[in-house]
This record gives sequence, C-alpha cells and structure tokens, in this order.
Amino acid sequence: MTLNRNPKKSRPYDEPPKRRRRLIPDGADSAAIGFFVASAIWLAVATGIGALAIGIRLIPLELSFPLGLFDLSFEFDRRRVDYAFINATVFGWLTNAGFAAIAFMVPRLFGRSLAGIQLVNLAMLIWNMALAGGIAGLYVFDLGPNAALSAMPWLFEGGLATAALIVTGSFLATAGASIRTGYVSAWFAGVALLGLAGLLGLNATIGLVELFIELPALTVALASVFVERALVTIWLLGIAYATLHYVVPRATGQALASGGLAILTWLTWLALAPASALATLQDTSVPFIFTTLGSVATILLLVPAALAFVNLVQSMQGRWTLLFGTGTLAFAAVSLAFLLAASLLEGIGSLRTVDQAIGGTDWERGVFLWAAYGAFSFAAFALAEHAMPRVLRRAWGAGPLASAQLWLAFAGTTLAGLALMGGGLAEGSLRAAGTAPDAIDAALLLYRVPAFLGFGMVALAGLAMLVNLFLMYTSGEPVEYAIPGQASPAAAGH
Amino acid sequence: MTVHTPIETRSSALPRWAILLTLFVFLVGGVYLAANLVGENPPLAIPGESAGSPVDGSPDPAVGEALVAQATPQCSSCHGADLSGSGPFPSLHGVADGPVSENLQDFAAEYPDTWAQLWIAGAPETEGIDRMGMPAFGDQFSPQQLESIVAYLKTLP
Repeated sequence: MTLNRNPKKSRPYDEPPKRRRRLIPDGADSAAIGFFVASAIWLAVATGIGALAIGIRLIPLELSFPLGLFDLSFEFDRRRVDYAFINATVFGWLTNAGFAAIAFMVPRLFGRSLAGIQLVNLAMLIWNMALAGGIAGLYVFDLGPNAALSAMPWLFEGGLATAALIVTGSFLATAGASIRTGYVSAWFAGVALLGLAGLLGLNATIGLVELFIELPALTVALASVFVERALVTIWLLGIAYATLHYVVPRATGQALASGGLAILTWLTWLALAPASALATLQDTSVPFIFTTLGSVATILLLVPAALAFVNLVQSMQGRWTLLFGTGTLAFAAVSLAFLLAASLLEGIGSLRTVDQAIGGTDWERGVFLWAAYGAFSFAAFALAEHAMPRVLRRAWGAGPLASAQLWLAFAGTTLAGLALMGGGLAEGSLRAAGTAPDAIDAALLLYRVPAFLGFGMVALAGLAMLVNLFLMYTSGEPVEYAIPGQASPAAAGH
Repeated sequence: MTVHTPIETRSSALPRWAILLTLFVFLVGGVYLAANLVGENPPLAIPGESAGSPVDGSPDPAVGEALVAQATPQCSSCHGADLSGSGPFPSLHGVADGPVSENLQDFAAEYPDTWAQLWIAGAPETEGIDRMGMPAFGDQFSPQQLESIVAYLKTLP
C-alpha cells in the first residue's frame, strides 16, 4: 500500500497538528527581538512627536476638548507634547533598546541563556503597555509639579518599575557570581539597570504616597528633576557605555585596547553619574555646596567620555575602512563623537555663569538632542546593526535604507542640535541686550525652522530603520549564528 | 556546546597619561568647587507652575523674591548677588524711593506709580529710553507677577 503524498489531496486530519505559538515566547533570543522591535516602533513614534514639539514652537497650537468621561478632557499644549516626546524618547526608544542590548549581550558575555526568559518577555509587554498608557495619560491628567519623566499617572509608573525590576532580576540571576570576573560591559549594564529600577521605584512610590498624603509641591518637584537627570546620567549613559564597549571589539574583530582604561572609565562614571544629578536641585532649601558638587560632577563626566573615546578608537586601529561603510563600527564611531561633544557641552552649560545666561532656553533642548539622538541612539543603532542578524538569523538587506538611516540620523541630529543650541545662545544674548519679546521670537524663527527640518530628517531615519527591519525579517538572506546555551551547528561568531 | 566568548583585552594595564589626565581634570573640578562653596541657590522653577500668582490677586513680595530668582537671565547676574549693584549696573536697593538710575528720573516722574513695572516689562511707554543692556521681562512675567516683583524690590532697604 502506498501513501498519497500529494499535498493537494491530503485532508486536514492527515496533517500533523501545527505547533501552537505560546502567548509569551520562550526562545533564547525572543526577549532581545521583542525589545528591539518595540524600540524601533517607539523611535518612529518619538521622532514624530519631536517634530511636532518643534513645530508648535513655530505655529503655536493649543487644543482642549472633553472626553465625555469623568469630566476628563484631552489637553494638547506645548508642555504636554514636550513631555510626551521626552518619555517616548527615553522610555520608549532608548530604554527598549537598552533592554534589548542587555537581553542580547548578557547571555553572550556569560555563556548561558537569560534567566527567566518568559518573565522578561512579560516585562516587555508590561513596560510597553504601561508606557503607551502613561503617554496617553499625559494628555488627560494633571501633570502637577513633575518634570517630564515623572509626570505619568502612578499606575503606569508602577508598571514601568515592575518591568524594570524583572529585567534587573533576570540580569542578576544570569550573571550571578560571574559578574565579578565579567567583562566591563556587564558592570556598566548592571549598575545602569539597578539605577533604572531604583529611580523608577522612587517615582512610583512618590506617586503612590501622593494618593494618600498631599506632599509639598516643592518636594515632588525636587524629586522629579533629580530622577529625570539621574535617569539620563546613570541609565542612558551607562547602557551606552556598556553597548559601545561590547560592539566595538566585536565589530573590529580585535581585542579591546585597554582593560585598565575601561575599568577607570567605569569607576569615574560610577562616582560622577549619581552626583551629577545633584546639580538639578537648585532651590533655596538645598545647600549651595550640594548643587555646586553636582555641577562639578557634570563637568567631570567629560573624563569617562574622553577615556572611553580614546580606548575604543584605539581598539579600532587597523580597521579604519570599516568606518566608511554603514555597519556597526560607523554607528559606534558617530556615537562616540556625539558622546564626547555632548559631555563637553553639558559641562559648559553647568557652569553657573553660563547657566544664568542660557538656562531655560533652546540650548538645553539642543544638548539633550545631541545626547539622546546622537550619543545614545547611535550606540543603540550600532548594537541593532550587530545583533539583529544574530537574533533573527537573517542578513541586513544591502541597499539605500541603511545609508539613509545613518546619514539622515547623523545629519538631522547635528543640524537640529546645532540650530537649537544656536537659538539658545541667541535668545540669551538678545534678552541680555534688552530686545523686545516680539523681536526675540522673530529672531528665534531662523533657528527653529532648521531645527524642525533637522528633526524631520531624524524621523525619516527612524522610519528607514523600521522598514529595513521589516524587510530583513520578511526577505533577508538566512545566516547562521550561535545561540548562547544551545548547541550550534554553524557558529559564525556572535 | 556553549559559545561563551569573553572579549579579550590587549592590555590590562592603565596608561600613565590616563591617570595624569584624570587627576588633572579632577584637580580643576576641585578648584571650581572650592571657588563656589558659598552662595545661595535660587528658588526652584517648579515645572508647569507659572511661578507666583498671588491667590488673592494682590502683589506678594515673597512671590516677587522667587520670581526675581527665576528670571532669565537672572537679575543677580548683572545687579549682583544681593542686588546691591555690580560694575556699571545699579543697585536695586532703595527703589521704594524712586529709580536709582538717572536715565529713569523723568520717566518715573511721568509714571510715579507704575514706572518700575513698565520698565522691567519693557513696555511701549519706555521706548526711547536707553535700556543700557537691561533685558525686557514682559514676555516672562504677567503684569500681576511684575507687581509682585516690584513689591519685593521695594522691600530692599
């Protein structure tokens, strides 16, 4: 008897049952993939909101209409759009990319699968749902005296803190006792994660306490500005250092130039990053020496940036041609350049005399743009460029999209940052010269238009990344890479 | 079967230039810290709060003091830390008795009750008077807030 092998004639019950997909996947790299995809989507969202934030400085627009629910209304104004942009950038794009970096790097650094992978995937869902809800809430609920990264309703902040705790727990369980002898990237990532979980926990706790006790507005405001700054210096900066120290040796295929320099970079960052946040506590109730100490720490953050720059550039020796492509090393080099420049500008801006002249102007937004969309984003791009083929087992498509992503993001961030910083300087000097407000606004238009155009280019770069990722997933050439903790028939390096 | 591939480092030694550079920059930071030990922070500009709008609508010197510290650029950057004057910039003490600067005497005579608010705001009435570098703050503060600022300045001895 012969079996009918014609698939057209086979009936449903002749087919073996299809494997059901689990709601929460547990593949070795599923967390890294999930966080990478989420980060790419948030990048497109954040850059869109960012272009809108600059746009409503050119054409002022405020909207308010009732939602017909519990007397709630949708409020659209400059502060809410700014806050949504900062949250989408920091928690949406950069933090998802940071979690992806951890989910990708840690198993490879310690040679074992990420502990509690299903929990980490659950954390990814919690994080992104809480963030989407929180950002929507920014347009509905009272923002209070909070800075941008503490302004979400406490329920959503609690969701973010829970997700961050899960990822931190998974990291610690994976690294275990090996962390002491681990590579410096794991140290950067570990401290950064602990800082993120702690700061988000503080945010959520304050929000929860406020439900029962009315805290003084000043206390809440001081805590929120501290948390906002510390999230940038501890979490975002830490994960950028972790990423860059990981990808540069991998992309060049040669050893890190100096382990001693890397440890000195880590030690100086560890000491200065938390202290730098003290500079934001500028209030009469805070001792002057604390804020001065914060300003000094901000200036000194140039030291770890310079050390990392030298160490990683030395690690590129003999591989300079890789800088001229659109691969990992090109992204990493741009990130390093922005990191050094942003650290220098942050240091200059924290000098008290400079701060008095340009504080509150577009200068601060320009420096933030260079740090977030220059230094941190390009580090994330570099890791994505390196990691995505390894987790999806598909090659990036060769084409104009990768070039578009690199050059649009680079040119757009440079232009928008320069324009905003120039506008800030102009605003400071015009105010000091006693120029009338209308004339100042007219003068700032010359800076804000190029800033808008520049940020539009960054938004296009975000779209290019998303499309490139989609094309890679759907039609990329298959490639084989090893998975930590699993047998691999054709390890092509990782 | 695992693929644990730690990243090697070419050298674990710390270059001498790195130690010297770090020490030098920290030394510069220490000098800056030592030179800025004494002073007072301005009141925090609480996010989203249009600082100091008196509830009952009357000018409040305490609110005015907070607003003076929040002005951009800060008043103290020209008029000195205690607003008692610095270089070519006049003292703001004693404005309760009228303007200190000579260029404002005629203006104050013409607007005896509101000259200070108009001057700080950079109102159209002040056109033609040499501001001598004094910024206009009309875009930063509401008329009510300006009244609080003037109320505070008038408390300075």
